[in-house]
Amino acid sequence: MAEISKTSVKSKGYLGALALIGVLLGLYWGLLHAPPDAYQGEVQRIMYLHIPSILTAYLSFFLVFVGSCLYLWKREKRDDILAYSAAEIGVLFTALTIIEGSIWGKPTWGVWWTWDARLTLTAILLLIFAGYLMLRSLTEDENRAASAAAVLGIIGFLDIPLIHMSVYWWRTLHQPPSILRPDKAPWDNVHPAMLTALAINFVAFVLLYFYLLSRRFRLGEISEEIKARLLNRDH
Amino acid sequence: MGAWGFVFLAYGIVWCAILIYWLTLKRRLRRAETELAQLRASQESQKNVQT
Repeated sequence: MAEISKTSVKSKGYLGALALIGVLLGLYWGLLHAPPDAYQGEVQRIMYLHIPSILTAYLSFFLVFVGSCLYLWKREKRDDILAYSAAEIGVLFTALTIIEGSIWGKPTWGVWWTWDARLTLTAILLLIFAGYLMLRSLTEDENRAASAAAVLGIIGFLDIPLIHMSVYWWRTLHQPPSILRPDKAPWDNVHPAMLTALAINFVAFVLLYFYLLSRRFRLGEISEEIKARLLNRDH
Repeated sequence: MGAWGFVFLAYGIVWCAILIYWLTLKRRLRRAETELAQLRASQESQKNVQT
């Protein structure tokens, strides 16, 4: 058991180191190596944060969805811990996406915020998962909170396809996707140096995400063990 | 604010927020590990007293 724990700590250390290397490489490629955009100039460099942040948030809420479905089906605490941990980090990355978008919006659109379909749906996603976290912390009956949060987590995830398709379904200020578009491959649409910078930053964000998730998941496991031991002691 | 000002503002906020979250998580984890270790030790000593 001690050996497993040691191996796990070591692998998390490697993951953290890899994430740090990825972040530093991403900063170099995003800020120094990639060329400025022909129309937007240097401010377009915010894209190397903005796209990886939202894709990481989507990944996080996908894990909330999977964990929530599994918890409602099998009632295993590990799945609930996974969903709760992923929701917390997903909220962080969604909030950061909105902040980056707002900073990018000011010099390109002339406003910090507009009630555009994509922006509004992303704000709704943030509110749903902020509500998820509040539900978890405010409800006293933990099993009820876990079940209710699982339902909310599943419903919240359904907002993501709406966010992605919003630029096609409504007339919006937000540009359509440059990378995830059905009619064109990314390399036909984006300069290779920009695409490389984006790919490096995306990998760095994913590595960082899994590192943070592993730490947050461990915290959830320890909290559960503490609760179980306290319950045993009181009975 | 110039173009680079917006870029540095965005990068600064993002990496500061992630750093703060990581430090907070680290502190929460350390506190929980200490609490668990103390709980385990007190339960072990209680068990030893009973036997």
